[in-house]
Amino acid sequence: MDALEVVEILVFPGLTFFVWLAFVFEWLDRKTTARMQGRIGPMLAGPRGILQPVADFFKLTSKEEIVPQFSDKLVFEWGPPFFFAAPAIGTIFIPVVGLNAIVSSPYDLLFILFVLAFSTLMAGMLGYASAGRFSTISIGRLVLQYASFEIPLLLAIVSPAVAAGNLSISGIVQAQSNFHWFVFVVPIGFAVFIVSSLAELEKPPFDIPDAKTEIAAGWMTEFSARPLAYVKLTESLSYVFLSALAASLFLGGTAGPVLTNVTILQDGIYLAYFLIKVFAIGFAIFAIKTALARVRINQAANLFWTVLTPLSLLQLGIVILLR
Amino acid sequence: MSYLTRWSRKRSIWVFPVNAASCNGCDIEILASLTPRYDAERLGVEVVASPRHADVLLVTGTANSMTRGILKKIYEQMPEPRLVVAVGACALGAGVMRGCYNVGHGVDKVIPVNLFIPGCPPRPEAILFGILKLVGEHPRGQVVAKEQIGKVSTTEHEEGEK
Repeated sequence: MDALEVVEILVFPGLTFFVWLAFVFEWLDRKTTARMQGRIGPMLAGPRGILQPVADFFKLTSKEEIVPQFSDKLVFEWGPPFFFAAPAIGTIFIPVVGLNAIVSSPYDLLFILFVLAFSTLMAGMLGYASAGRFSTISIGRLVLQYASFEIPLLLAIVSPAVAAGNLSISGIVQAQSNFHWFVFVVPIGFAVFIVSSLAELEKPPFDIPDAKTEIAAGWMTEFSARPLAYVKLTESLSYVFLSALAASLFLGGTAGPVLTNVTILQDGIYLAYFLIKVFAIGFAIFAIKTALARVRINQAANLFWTVLTPLSLLQLGIVILLR
Repeated sequence: MSYLTRWSRKRSIWVFPVNAASCNGCDIEILASLTPRYDAERLGVEVVASPRHADVLLVTGTANSMTRGILKKIYEQMPEPRLVVAVGACALGAGVMRGCYNVGHGVDKVIPVNLFIPGCPPRPEAILFGILKLVGEHPRGQVVAKEQIGKVSTTEHEEGEK
């Protein structure tokens, strides 16, 4: 690993780039929600309030850190960085500039599935470690919800891989050049992926684990200051990560028409394609999230097991037959 | 305190509202200050679901013997730096119930209060004014005039009342 790779992983298009993208995503989320509700949204922090998530983050880091008396101190204090690491590592496998990601192997998707599972596992551990009443109820719901959406999400991720005949994300992106987007090949898989990622992100209509009106702030109830800042940042980073994953797997990611022969200019154009697609997916998720109300946990489990799992199996069958 | 800390604390105010034996009038006005007409989120205000996340405790009601302990406990659960705002006549003294044997006489008898917002109930403009005052922004200053704070208390609204 040479110096350039380290810079790529840590600064651009790696960690720092995605963290700033996460802040922008949270701002867009709040602005879109506000606009859809007829409000204005954050206005004072920076131009049009774009620095609002940054202000929230730095305010939280400057506050007093409270560790509950009966909590598991080790997990409670050291868990949030690991929770943050899950989507942060996942983003390295997604091509942002050019058609190749920083790190690319023939088994990318298996690792991505591990990252998604690890993220939920860390949420569960953090919730149990804080030993609060609301956290415990919330984790029960989280595990049940995870057991419901895991299979459809997995099958939805597998179908574009089958269509491309490749498990590497860079390979899947390269298979989609010339507008052979997999959203036209596996439309049902795309829909299932979006619905399942809403459940993975704990956003409405699947915000059952942190239902504000029922169980306080869910498994985040006992967190304050720095751990909370990490947890909130991880939530927005997961947002970006899942949008980028959807854009790469189904909308072609960075793939698009080649306009120039100059490498640097073409890299910029690839980045523009990627950002347009990511923000398109992001806006779709914001709109769904704002428009829908929360379902009960049994309704969610019902939906995932009796509707989305058969649909994604059907999609997988169709893709295998068409290949 | 660094510039960044001061700026972020001024721009990000997470509020945890508590109803300490209030009649719900003030709570509805607090809700109204979050609705499209007033939209407290413009100022960076967010209502959070847990006192551990909060910077500001918005207390309504007289804090009688039933809610006094709960109020104290919630205050102790908040991380420093924490601010308390007493909203409405009941939270300031006992409002219309002053002198009754069975009511508390103000939130400041239970926990330290940083800001009092009078009114029965206070208007949403008053609540926004209080929040801005709390973080050291004058509502008639340039920053806020630019962001249409003036819009919420224009003549249009006054005419609607007549």
